[in-house]
Amino acid sequence: MSMLSALAHVEAMQNMTAVRLTAFRHHRLSDRPLVIIPLTMAGEAGAPLAVMAGTARRDMTLLVVPQPRNRDQRFAFAADLGRVVMDYIDSYRQDRRGEGERSQYTDVPQIIVPNQGGVNALADLGRMCRFRSTTGPYAVPEVVPEFGMWLTFLVDTAEMAGTSMLLPLTALLTEHWATGQSTLEDQNLASLMAWIAPPRGVSIAQALEEAENPDVCPPAGPSTSPEFDNRDLAPAIKRFDTAHALGDPHTLAAAQTELTELIAGQVKPTWRLMWAAISILRSIPKAPQTARRLDRDCRLFTNHSDYRDAGGLPQRKRDTAISAARRLSQLERALADFEAAMAFDDPFVLADRRSGGEAFTGTVVESQPNRTAITAKNTTVPRPRVTVRTSDPLRLAAGTKLISPTMPKGHKAVIVSVLPDGDTTLVTVEVTAGMGRGRTPKAGSVPDLDKDIDYLPDPGWRPNPTFPDSDHTPWTHSADPDGPDDSAVPENAAAEEWGHDN
Amino acid sequence: MKPPVDGRLDALRGSSPRLSYNARSLAALENNPRCTLRALLDASGSDKAAIAAHIGYPSPFGQSSFAFARGNAFEAMVKDNGCAELLRVLRETLKLTLPEVAYLDLNEVGGAGDNDARHRRTTEVLLEAARGNGEGTLFDHPLLHLQVGGEGAFLEPDLVAFRIDGRFYIVEIKSFPIIDGQADPAQVRAATTQASAYIIALRALLAHHGMDTGAVSDTIVLVAPKDFTNRPTAAFVDARKQVAALTRQLSRIERVSDLVDLLPEDLTFDLDLDLTLPKKEQRPRRPAEELAAAVARVPATYRPDCLNHCEMAFHCRAHARAEASLDVLGPAVREQLGGIDTATMALGLARGQLTPTGDQSDMAAALRHAARLRDELTEAYGGAA
Ligand code: SF4
Repeated sequence: MSMLSALAHVEAMQNMTAVRLTAFRHHRLSDRPLVIIPLTMAGEAGAPLAVMAGTARRDMTLLVVPQPRNRDQRFAFAADLGRVVMDYIDSYRQDRRGEGERSQYTDVPQIIVPNQGGVNALADLGRMCRFRSTTGPYAVPEVVPEFGMWLTFLVDTAEMAGTSMLLPLTALLTEHWATGQSTLEDQNLASLMAWIAPPRGVSIAQALEEAENPDVCPPAGPSTSPEFDNRDLAPAIKRFDTAHALGDPHTLAAAQTELTELIAGQVKPTWRLMWAAISILRSIPKAPQTARRLDRDCRLFTNHSDYRDAGGLPQRKRDTAISAARRLSQLERALADFEAAMAFDDPFVLADRRSGGEAFTGTVVESQPNRTAITAKNTTVPRPRVTVRTSDPLRLAAGTKLISPTMPKGHKAVIVSVLPDGDTTLVTVEVTAGMGRGRTPKAGSVPDLDKDIDYLPDPGWRPNPTFPDSDHTPWTHSADPDGPDDSAVPENAAAEEWGHDN
Repeated sequence: MKPPVDGRLDALRGSSPRLSYNARSLAALENNPRCTLRALLDASGSDKAAIAAHIGYPSPFGQSSFAFARGNAFEAMVKDNGCAELLRVLRETLKLTLPEVAYLDLNEVGGAGDNDARHRRTTEVLLEAARGNGEGTLFDHPLLHLQVGGEGAFLEPDLVAFRIDGRFYIVEIKSFPIIDGQADPAQVRAATTQASAYIIALRALLAHHGMDTGAVSDTIVLVAPKDFTNRPTAAFVDARKQVAALTRQLSRIERVSDLVDLLPEDLTFDLDLDLTLPKKEQRPRRPAEELAAAVARVPATYRPDCLNHCEMAFHCRAHARAEASLDVLGPAVREQLGGIDTATMALGLARGQLTPTGDQSDMAAALRHAARLRDELTEAYGGAA
């Protein structure tokens, strides 16, 4: 955390109101996101209890597993939800642009869940579904494994900074606002929204209190509140089980309706809150580079879609050492790019970096616009130098490559020297790119005297690191240390045992 | 002269029955070792949840009957038939060669509540085993003893210790799943903390009788459901780090007797329950304000993590908020603003309304710089949210 963000949180706490952290919204919001609220059953490994899903505030589907411990009911539920999600995803697998290799879909799906727990619940569901076989003794409907593979894909993309195909709402909100509470409490959607947009006529303090009262604001999932479980849900499930055992369709239908209504009562407040949050987020202008990130999403989406169309195998249970290393390097790079792009686009984020000494803003106090240098190839190139006076607590060293949001596109520079001068610092930079092809820099490409200018480190172009082929992995790094019973081959995994089949 | 510390602790607790350390209080001990309030409440065996509720801050922890039932059912299944399933995973998953196994349930000694008898029996049996004489391999429900802040506390683990090749291993049976060989790190951590306390206690027992503490392994065996099934799988978890951390915290924790000495003599957390009534009907008779005042006299070091670990958390948070303490915001902000305790002071320094002390001057300069940046932004882009 930077000093600026720390201060923002302190201000929020003192003034009892959320404080803005960015000028823009850095994640794309779809016009038609699929909002999903997954609920799971306490204590049961990845057992779905219910889900509410839909693409508009007034258009929701509630699916409930009346007896989460029952395997058949779980997979009937997975199939129902799978159809909802696959219909939505398939609607983005229609329009392509470009030819051959470069052909890709023009838009991507976007699933929004309340919090990181929601992402984890979808990850579990994806894992539960993707290896299921559609034939044999434990056959599941066709859509189940397909849905599982798509969920796994979406969950994987969610780890990559700047992607927008699966987003936890709390993360979107905390990117834009600082609250006067801790990160832990910010994970509670209702508490977070209490700071940002308390209900009309309710003070933030009171809204916060209500947000932690499960009778007023049921948790946003995936766990339900223990009080609800003990007081309402357990007896209702019991009634369902009894009705099931009796086999009377009338009582069974009644028990099912009762359960559905109970659960609807628990999810609806979160549903409304999520759409309210989405509409607030929409009103924040989106950052210029969001479009470029959408393009990357389209590429990822198209690749996976084509892989599915070609009947590819489900994702492995665990990455091999090499694919894990490759993936880690991709994630790190995505994060560095995303952070740099945010600072480039957004003066708030830039200020944040400045307060930590990782970027600076200052005034040009000296300029040598006509300076040239001779390259190794013996050609003369323009290498203007300017000196900037800044009062920022700079921590960048000579040799750091820079980019600047205040200069025309393509401008690049490198720090030559950093000299303290009283309360300020004099930074001399050499302009290295963005000056055109001539012997003299084109107009406007060198900062003028007295100009205010921002600089931040260039995340730069890095070559993709090369990794050995899987064959060359030393045995110490091979996957599946668990032995043959943990095979990633779907046919074998289909025989996974199930308990509690009552 | 003050009464001896045991008497003082009993007086702190008052009429309520004594509670022993459990998984949560051990985790709290690891996460917030320096909190005086928690140390005293736990050392005296007070019912934190009941106290918090009575003073108007009911604890944030409830347990779902589903989780409870599932946990019990899983444990029962693993231990059924003399731990048949446990032995299966030890042999098949962990590839241990276990000879003929004898199972001993140490719960079956002494009357309910007679901890001393149970502890004596545990000691006897485990020492015999350590000397290589006893017949047991699996020991269920041993009652161990841990020194916390100079005071003894009983630990009642729901666990089995087993002995193989001359070493004891602690087995933790948990109902969170291990999916594809991986489990939720936070839950593994909590389980490991718990097991670490047992390792320390078991080692202390051996040391006390002049035996080698190396006979207790610092690798624990975690038994949990495999993937989405009900069948158990097992994994070794290296607890070395947490054993070391917990040992350090236990040694650093202020002596409870010293803490007690600092308290006003009449201070008590007594709820004044009517013990003649059946347990369910017992209601605190002590005026809530009086109890709240007693609690407020003891220093607490709130941090947001308390919300995960301590029943008093809502109470302590309210106090921290009332004092504008930066503890409310958590460690990330605290670290950034090292040496500054309150929001009022941070903002005073940021706005130049307070004169920094010598060691605050760098921090104050950084704060003023950040405040200037924020002002510029607010001017250019409009105010708060
Ligand atoms: S909640 Fe309060 S009593 Fe409990 S550990 Fe935290 S500060 Fe101490």
